[in-house]
Amino acid sequence: MEPQTLEAIGRIFGAGIAVGLGGIGAGIGMGMVAASGDEGLMRQPTQNNAMVRTMLIGQAVGGGTVSVFPLVIAILILFMPATDPEMVGGNFVATMIGAGLAIGLGSFGSGLGCGWPGATACDGVARNPRKITPITLRMVIGQAVAQSPTIFAMVIALLLLFTQQPGTDVVHIGIVLGAGLAIGAGALGPGIGSGIAAGGGITGIGKWPQNQDVTFRNMLVAQAVCQTPAIFGLLVAFVLFTRHAMEPGWTSLAQLLAAGIAAGFGGIGAGIGSGFAGETACEAIAARVRSENVILRTMLTGQAVSQTTAVYALVIALVVLYIV
Amino acid sequence: MDIGTISAVVQTVMSQAPEEAAAVITGSELLQAASFIGAGLAMGFGAIGPGIGQGFAAGKACEAIGRSPENSNLLTRTMLLGQAVSETTGIYAFVISLLLLLYLA
Repeated sequence: MEPQTLEAIGRIFGAGIAVGLGGIGAGIGMGMVAASGDEGLMRQPTQNNAMVRTMLIGQAVGGGTVSVFPLVIAILILFMPATDPEMVGGNFVATMIGAGLAIGLGSFGSGLGCGWPGATACDGVARNPRKITPITLRMVIGQAVAQSPTIFAMVIALLLLFTQQPGTDVVHIGIVLGAGLAIGAGALGPGIGSGIAAGGGITGIGKWPQNQDVTFRNMLVAQAVCQTPAIFGLLVAFVLFTRHAMEPGWTSLAQLLAAGIAAGFGGIGAGIGSGFAGETACEAIAARVRSENVILRTMLTGQAVSQTTAVYALVIALVVLYIV
Repeated sequence: MDIGTISAVVQTVMSQAPEEAAAVITGSELLQAASFIGAGLAMGFGAIGPGIGQGFAAGKACEAIGRSPENSNLLTRTMLLGQAVSETTGIYAFVISLLLLLYLA
């Protein structure tokens, strides 16, 4: 097969993975917001301006911005000139697929997660249309925090595209695919989880607007804790970038891929689980501000226990890279 | 794209692999590589369930403590017990991964 054909195949697969996976989450998330907005309109037919405005802001900030990231990466994958003439054949294909996996899986999570705050904000506005400004403002901030795992994925995707990762060919393939999986799948759970946590906070603010400051503070804490697995994924991706001196061979390729799979997929459950803990905790705090301390403590304990599995996955990723 | 084209692409990608890597993988290398991938899959996918399950437990505990803060000790204890049970499958995955990495590979 000619090199140009192979290059084209790499670009097509990479761009397809990026936009295909990235679009799923944003699509579902925007649908959740729209469903909730319609329900709100049914309950408050006279407030259609407020409802439609909340719904559109929720969709634009949630699904809209999240799906721009995979679009940008896909355009880069398709049209950027090959930066390094050394990078040909399998290396090029693997780099493009790695970048696509990173941003595709990463933005899947944030796009889906941003649906929760959007949907609960529509609920809140339907319940209390005069509170549209505080609810929408906090929804936008919650969605922005839920998008930070996608930013991590974007950083790794851009690094993969614009800096050539050294290493003999098989090791290079392992590094780029492993790094793409580690940060892509690693950002998936935290994106969904911090969105779910934000949804709980916005529900609380909608139902008990008088306690909005306390609820909002705890919502941000809950969202921040959900991001830990994404940081593990980022860490493993950077560690993989330093492993270019591994002995060339299929076992090295397997080691690099296994580290990426363990660190990446191991973070999904921890991210989503911490999000569920944060969701109900934020609602409980909004309902009873006086018990804030004890609920926050229980939430943090529960989230920490829920993240032990992500720590196991990180340990396995490091063992497979350094000890074996 | 049919299977023939895909396998041609895979073969071409693989044929770009370096000369110093053995073109044909030996049996022990294959076993080792499979153990590594198996360990990664076991831990990666094995960690999903316990994480989500423990999150549910923590969420419900927070809700209950919100309703009756005076029982917070009892509720926290029950939450941790439930989470510990839910953790077992994660520990199984961890043990299997370590076995695969340190004994079989």
